[in-house]
Parts: sequence; C-alpha cells; structure tokens
Amino acid sequence: MSSALTDVRRSTVAEAAVERPDRKKKPPTLRKARTFYLFVAPWVLGFVGLTVFPLGYAFWLSLTDSDGLSPRTHFVGFQNYVDIFHDPLTLSSLAKTGMFALVTVPLSILAGLLLAVMVNQPIRARGLYRALIYLPAVVPPVGAALTFRLIFDRDAGAANGILSTLGANPITWLVDPNVRYVLYALVLWGCGGSMIISLAGLQDIPRELLEAAQVDGASYWQSFTRITIPLLSPVILFQVITGMIGSLQSFAPLLLSSGSLSGAGAVPQGNYLYMIHVFAQYFSASRFGYASAMLWLLFAVILLVTLLIIKVSARTVFYTVEPEGTSK
Amino acid sequence: MTRTYRWALSLVLLAVVLVMISPILWLVSSSLKSSADMASFPPTWWPSQPRFENYTEAITSVNFLGAAQNSLTIAFISTTLTTLSSAWVGFGFARLTAPGKKQLFVVLLATMMLPGIVTLVPTYLIFAKLHMVNTYWPWVAWGLGGSAFLIFLFRQFFAGIPREMEEAAIIDGCGYVGIFWRIFLPQSWPVIAASVILSFTHAWGDFVGPAMFLSQDSTTLAVAMATGYVNDKGLPMNNLVAAGAVMYVLPVLILFLFMQRRFVSGFSTSGIK
Repeated sequence: MSSALTDVRRSTVAEAAVERPDRKKKPPTLRKARTFYLFVAPWVLGFVGLTVFPLGYAFWLSLTDSDGLSPRTHFVGFQNYVDIFHDPLTLSSLAKTGMFALVTVPLSILAGLLLAVMVNQPIRARGLYRALIYLPAVVPPVGAALTFRLIFDRDAGAANGILSTLGANPITWLVDPNVRYVLYALVLWGCGGSMIISLAGLQDIPRELLEAAQVDGASYWQSFTRITIPLLSPVILFQVITGMIGSLQSFAPLLLSSGSLSGAGAVPQGNYLYMIHVFAQYFSASRFGYASAMLWLLFAVILLVTLLIIKVSARTVFYTVEPEGTSK
Repeated sequence: MTRTYRWALSLVLLAVVLVMISPILWLVSSSLKSSADMASFPPTWWPSQPRFENYTEAITSVNFLGAAQNSLTIAFISTTLTTLSSAWVGFGFARLTAPGKKQLFVVLLATMMLPGIVTLVPTYLIFAKLHMVNTYWPWVAWGLGGSAFLIFLFRQFFAGIPREMEEAAIIDGCGYVGIFWRIFLPQSWPVIAASVILSFTHAWGDFVGPAMFLSQDSTTLAVAMATGYVNDKGLPMNNLVAAGAVMYVLPVLILFLFMQRRFVSGFSTSGIK
C-alpha cells in the first residue's frame, strides 16, 4: 500500500477530529493512549492479581513456618530454603524430575519430527494419518492416565496379555520399578502434538529452496540436514523450551496412581516427581511454608533452564526473519 | 517418489496409527466387559457379550450428571470470558499505541513461559482466605484476565486488518469500543473458533484447578473420573472406570473430529518463529 495514500487518509482523520470540539478536548494521541490502557486493563489486572500477587504471597509464606491452619505463624527467614537442601526426598524428587524431562522431551520432539516428515510426504490419505496420530494429544490428561492404568493393569491389562501370548511372564507395571516406563509411554502417546507443530514448521519452508537443492544434486538426507533442520530450528527450540517447562512441573504420576491431591504421598517412588512432593507437602503434611519455598525453587529452576536453553541455542538456531512481536 | 517407497511409507504410518489408536480401542473394549471378563487372565481382548449396562451404572453409581453439569458450567464460563477478554486485549495491542506498550507486550510474551502451577497453589490459598473456594468465581477471574497465548493470537489477526476500516469508522464517529465490537470482532471468527476450542478442551481437561478449588460433591468430571469408581470393599471397578472415561473423553474427541482443521490451525498460526 502506498504511503502517500495513507498519509492523506491520516490527515483527513486528524482534520475530522479537530473539527469536532465536542469529542476532542484532548490531543488524539492522549485519548488513544487512555483507550489503550482501557483495552489492556483486564489482562494487566489479571496478571497482577492472579500471577504477581500469588507469587509474592508464596514468597512471603516461604519465609514462615505456616501450616495453613493455626493463625500464629513465625517468620523463619530462609530456613525453609536451607531445609530443602538437607531433605533427601526433595532432592531426589528434583533429580527424578530432571531425568523425566531429559528423557521425555527429546524423545517426544524426535518422534514428532519424524512423524511430521512422514505425513508431509505426498501419499494418499495423509490428512487421515495426521488426524489419527494427533488424536491422543487431545485426549484429556485424566482420560489418558485412566486408559494407561487399564492397559498396564496386572491381570486385566493388554500389556500383560500381549506378553502372555508371546510366552513371557506377566509384569506388575504400576508399581516400582516399572511404573516409570508407563509414565514415559503415557507422555510419548501425546507426541502427535509435537508432530503438528513440526508439520506447521515444515510447511512454512519455501518449496523453491528444496527444489533448488535437488537441481544442484543434493541427496534427500543432505537437503534435510542442511535446509530443513536449520529452517526448522526455531520451531524445535520452541518445543524444547515449552517441553522443559511443562515436564518440570508435571504431576502426571498423580493421575496414574491415586488420582487425588491428598493421595500424592502414595505415588510410587519411581514416579515421585517434584510437583508430587509439593502436593504431598501442602495437602498431606500441611507444611505450607516449606512447600511454598519448594514452589519458588521450582520457579527459579525453570527460569534458569529456560535462559540456559536460549543462551546455548543462540548460535545454533537460525532465524530467516527477526522474531515477530518484538519489533513493531 | 517410487511406488514401493510410497507403499512402505503407508505401511509404517498405518502401524503408527494402530499403535496410537489401540489405547482408545482398549478403553472402549474394557468399558463393555463384565466383572468376570475383567478378572480373567489372560485378558479378554473383546467381550463376547458386550455389557452396555456399564454405562448406565457408571452414570448412576457416582454423581456423574452433577459432575458433568459442573464441567460444562466451568467450561462455558472460561470459554466465553477468556475468548472475549483475550480478543479485547489483543485489539488494544494490535490497534492502539501508548507509552509503555512495547514493554507490556514483552511482559505478555514472557508470561507464556511462566510455570502455571507455581502460581496456582498460592492462588488457591488466597481464594481460600477470601472464602471464594467452592464457587465459580476463580474461573470468572481467570477468564476475565484472558490468556496470554490467545491474546497473542488475536493481536496477530487484528494487526493484519487494513487501517482504512477503522479510519472510516472513526470518521463516522465510532469510538474504539464500537470499532472493536462491530468491525473487528465479527471478522475474527477463525481466531474465535480456535480460541473456543482451545479454552473448552483446556477447561474440560483441567484436573488440578477443580481438584483444589472445588469440594468433592461439587467437582467436575475430570476429578470425579480420576478418583474413579470403587466397590464397597474399596476396590476399583475398572469396567465402570472405563465406561465413565469413555463418556468423559467423547465430547472432546467429537469436537476434534469435526473441527480438526481449526485445532491444527490454532497452533500453526501461533507465529512460533
């Protein structure tokens, strides 16, 4: 669109505004600014009231010995944070959560990428393949966990049914040490979500680039590693970050076990992730101060991990254009 | 691409689809089994006599309809309020300017990275202090605050609408509220559809929110199903669990099958890059 045209239009608007003294006591930019604040107010209020204030409240709680019930709480300084680093259960749950993230995030992204490449090929009924592979990702978490509880049931489950037809002994899946594999399988079942994101990224790659490479005699593998992967790297980075954030705060094992917050303490050790321990501290042990300190530690860890990923990836991630949103 | 290659690829994909769909088939099969089928080992793959009574028992043996009603109410509140509020805020970021707008937008993008559960527990403690636990007010508050991701989606869409539209409206004496409501919102139905689907499935699937904020007798289906069905000996009745889970999951799956294009575009238009 020509800028001369828009300039003309803008000036007509300004003149029209000047001609109407009843509406225009203030200069138009000021009115526009006030309108802007009116429009973003719901989000700003929600952000302050439902994010900033709760985080602050949790921080204040983390400095006390509050149990949530007795009115008298004592200020204990950073004692809860010191205690965290002397609590083997908390530290081991943190280690398990790190392990869980390091296993499931790369596997999900890899599986999703592989599937995305496959369903991006010109084959018949690929729309149907895409939909059916993505389907598990839209099953609500509770429904998915219940389904996996039924599949891995010791007696009536399909997993042991398959093992017995193969002549193997049945396995008690839902207790230690096997239950962690059920959790991994449950998470990987949703890798269709990653497939859809990677597929959108693949479809954004200009066809001419790949065709030019083909003309120049590049093999499929060469154009995949030299063109597709670099152009897809922002999409992969996005998935690594959201995947890490999601899995560090995962409480999926709770749904796989008792399915109630107060039953968090009964989750098998192999699946005793950090958030499970937080729930157990809040809702079984009533150690509100300690649990709030745990939440703040998680917050700090997630923040650090995110910054670390962004920092490390800065040299390897390739942007064709400036990241959107920050400009304009 | 050669024919054999195409065939091989289709075979691999078919195998993947089978693996992905088989858990759902197992859920349906379990929901039709008798308790004798459930106790047999090796397990029954498909019940010879499907027991449809499981479904009526799954509805009557817990407060299924009450929980479903709570789920629907919460999903309705969150979906309408989140969509409207996100569109409203997204319009502000797309079409208006003011000092501090850039910084606010960066904060908005950064909140997408915030771990939601870290704020959820203290939010619960605050609502408990305000005696608003076991009401729908928390969902009203969350809905009015909008969702950062959806605000971003609406902002991207509104930023692409030609400026002539709003200038013509300003000349006609229409304020920005009118421009939003009469011109921009009606045009944004693709984003509204994506927003409705995403917020509905999120609200319907949410477990921790209702588990924390609602008591056991006014809870949602997600929580009622997670704690499951137990007999008088305290043992789980897995065929009823399966029947209940099928009925709980079905609305989302139907929504998905009818609107899969929207589901997919909701993510692909998110401007990840």
